[in-house]
Amino acid sequence: MLESGLCNYVLISYGHSALSSDSMMQMLTDLSGDDAVFGHFGATGGYALAARRAMHTFGTGPETWKQIAMGQRQWADLNPQAVMHGKTMSSEDYDHSRWVVEPLRLLDNCLITDGGRAIVVTSLERARDLKQPPVVILGMGQHDQPAEIGQALTMDGPTGAKKAGEAALAMAGITLNDVDACQLYDCFTYTVEITLQDYGFFGPGEGKDWFQGGTIAPGGRMPVNTSGGQLSEAYFMGLTPLAEAAMQIMGRCGRRQLGPATGTREPRIVLCSDNGGILQSHSCIILGRS
Amino acid sequence: MTDYSKPLPKLNGDNRQFWEGCRAHELRFQQCTACGLVRWPPSFLCPRCHATESTCRIASGLGTVFTYTVYHTAFHPGFASELPYVVAVVALDEGPHVLTNIVGCRPEEVKCDQRVKVVWDEVTETITLPKFAPL
Ligand SMILES: [Zn+2]
Repeated sequence: MLESGLCNYVLISYGHSALSSDSMMQMLTDLSGDDAVFGHFGATGGYALAARRAMHTFGTGPETWKQIAMGQRQWADLNPQAVMHGKTMSSEDYDHSRWVVEPLRLLDNCLITDGGRAIVVTSLERARDLKQPPVVILGMGQHDQPAEIGQALTMDGPTGAKKAGEAALAMAGITLNDVDACQLYDCFTYTVEITLQDYGFFGPGEGKDWFQGGTIAPGGRMPVNTSGGQLSEAYFMGLTPLAEAAMQIMGRCGRRQLGPATGTREPRIVLCSDNGGILQSHSCIILGRS
Repeated sequence: MTDYSKPLPKLNGDNRQFWEGCRAHELRFQQCTACGLVRWPPSFLCPRCHATESTCRIASGLGTVFTYTVYHTAFHPGFASELPYVVAVVALDEGPHVLTNIVGCRPEEVKCDQRVKVVWDEVTETITLPKFAPL
């Protein structure tokens, strides 16, 4: 639309009073359909079924997910806007966190947030004259595994992330080695693991070692969800990761800014994900400097 | 029976055969006449070969636990007194995967790949739920 001249600017926005109303939980409950007959509701239950299957087939589990929850919380502590800013999470905090739907604990769940996010897309030519340095779309990919969780055979991977990631990398003409950071849709800790695994950062079950030692945290070799993400900053659907990627590349992230200040690589190329349903649809988008 | 406080299935033209089967203690599925696939949920077309003809296949009620969860939170007040309870996906021997409850054992005894068999929970005069218990 921008290239054909049909429009000059596209505003992508999301806003929701999810915390102060019951609309998010109501939407998730309504989606349950006849699964509610058996007491199966919402998103946590569906992702818990997926996470349990993954425990069985490739041996993941709470030791892996704890690294994700804690790593993202460290980033949130550098982000004054994050809901969980100032609320540090210890290993014991995670271990003692209550079950919501086992095997997922409260600290494996994302937040529900009042607020919103917006991104403006325009031509590179126009963007060069604007106040912030331009961020360009280097590659995109989309792939779905649309079966409902009751019939899904790919809940332990490969999810749509595999082909979506391959397509986005090919379009950008890069490999995973060129990626400086990831901003991922992280409705649950397991979502982060299976997304990175399907993108090819590690093999099935190798996340247990890959995440050890603060890989995704400040100072880590592959920062992930540097705002705190949906787990520890705020839940604005796919705009939580996408907006953070754009802001990191622009250099607008204050104390959490990727680069020397946080002991991480300069954010020249940032890989983002979004997914829908219970691991049923997946989008990958790679952003970079112009 | 009338004080049953949990959600009930919404019967329609597609799923009526299944729920009427449950009332008669039978697991009735569509089986594709062309390719033999036994399918769930019900559909007009076979998801594998797109043929429209199907016959009724009564499943044995035997299967294995594909995956499961333990609910520690009641998202509906009707389930508050049941906590913790198990929601599972059971892979029936005939092929279909069904979302259900595992009953007849403690939650910590449930395992993936465990063999299970259908048990019938008559919750109202017209609705019977197929749940599963360890063999
Ligand atoms: Zn067929």
